[in-house]
Amino acid sequence: MMASPLFLLLALALYFSPLKKQQIVEHILKVSEAAMEKMKGEIGEEERSNCDNQGDGKLKVRILVVDDSLLDRKVVERLLNKSEEGFEVITVDNGKKAMDILGLNEAETELAAINDQSIDIVLTDYCMPGMTGYDLLKAVKGQSFRKPIPVVVMSSENEPQRISRCRAIGAEDFILKPIQIKDVQRLRNYAKPNTSSPIVGSKRKMKPLELATESGGSEKRPRLAGVVVA
Amino acid sequence: MAAFAQEQLDALVNGMYREGFLDEQFQQIRALDEGGSPDFLVELLGLFCADTDRMLNEAALLLNQPIVDYKKVDAYFHQLKGSSASVGAHSFKLTCMLVRDSCDKNDKESCLEALNLAKQRFYELSKRLNIMIQLEQAVYAHKAGK
Repeated sequence: MMASPLFLLLALALYFSPLKKQQIVEHILKVSEAAMEKMKGEIGEEERSNCDNQGDGKLKVRILVVDDSLLDRKVVERLLNKSEEGFEVITVDNGKKAMDILGLNEAETELAAINDQSIDIVLTDYCMPGMTGYDLLKAVKGQSFRKPIPVVVMSSENEPQRISRCRAIGAEDFILKPIQIKDVQRLRNYAKPNTSSPIVGSKRKMKPLELATESGGSEKRPRLAGVVVA
Repeated sequence: MAAFAQEQLDALVNGMYREGFLDEQFQQIRALDEGGSPDFLVELLGLFCADTDRMLNEAALLLNQPIVDYKKVDAYFHQLKGSSASVGAHSFKLTCMLVRDSCDKNDKESCLEALNLAKQRFYELSKRLNIMIQLEQAVYAHKAGK
């Protein structure tokens, strides 16, 4: 239990008078922060498990699908959602938005709320106006993410030069459109769900230990709620 | 009534496969429908038909210019080739490839010929797809009403 070390420290503080009260408070705060972090991590794991678990122990894989064709996006999204491979699908219609989601653009946008580390794999069309799939692949592979993000490129053109070009800069695979069920199974093999990524839209919120300042004093002394340190 | 609509639908779809209008990709698209409802298929085919109609018209405008921007025409048919492949519209996809070949040669006359063929193929396809959508909805409505 969290309370026990705190009370122990307080008791020690009272007993060993030379210890400065400020140091005690700081130490208690450190202990409680560490405990909170540990609990957050445990709750995070539980939440991820509750939110993302398919029920068979498999974690869902967050896949970012990038394609300028609305029709193709709909087909791929449906295929991925209907498969039994456990995908959570996010779709965008251009490379720039994909960069925003992955946290690769400096400018903040409303899409930046989805943290880059919550994407487990990128599936991008090769031919797109503006930023091509190749450009996106290059940008992703050029970054040193905490956990490398696999990138699979898809194209309707079966061009050996295009394929080798993509593989040369690190594409995990190259899929010929239209994407098939067997391709979905391959995608799952490349992606490992990110268990340490922050949870988006977590149901439970941690209430941090509140630090209240004393009123009326020139020097504000922090005190723990319910604990007065003179 | 439901059985009759189903028979009509099966005959139409089988005929479209036989005549080369559709390929196995269409079967995969159909399989993506959920709970027997044709909503996804209807949405997709509607999107395909609307986009194709628009792009064919825009390509025709480009090809009727005194100086033809073959790159733009090719870009349209690249998209059309992709979307027709995605829905399994086999014969239409082949005509898109013919237009692209003509664009590669910067040959206006053969581009126009190929475009007319593509329009004709699309017209035949979209007629059948519209009937298919109506039959799919009729079959589903009868099944859901049970």
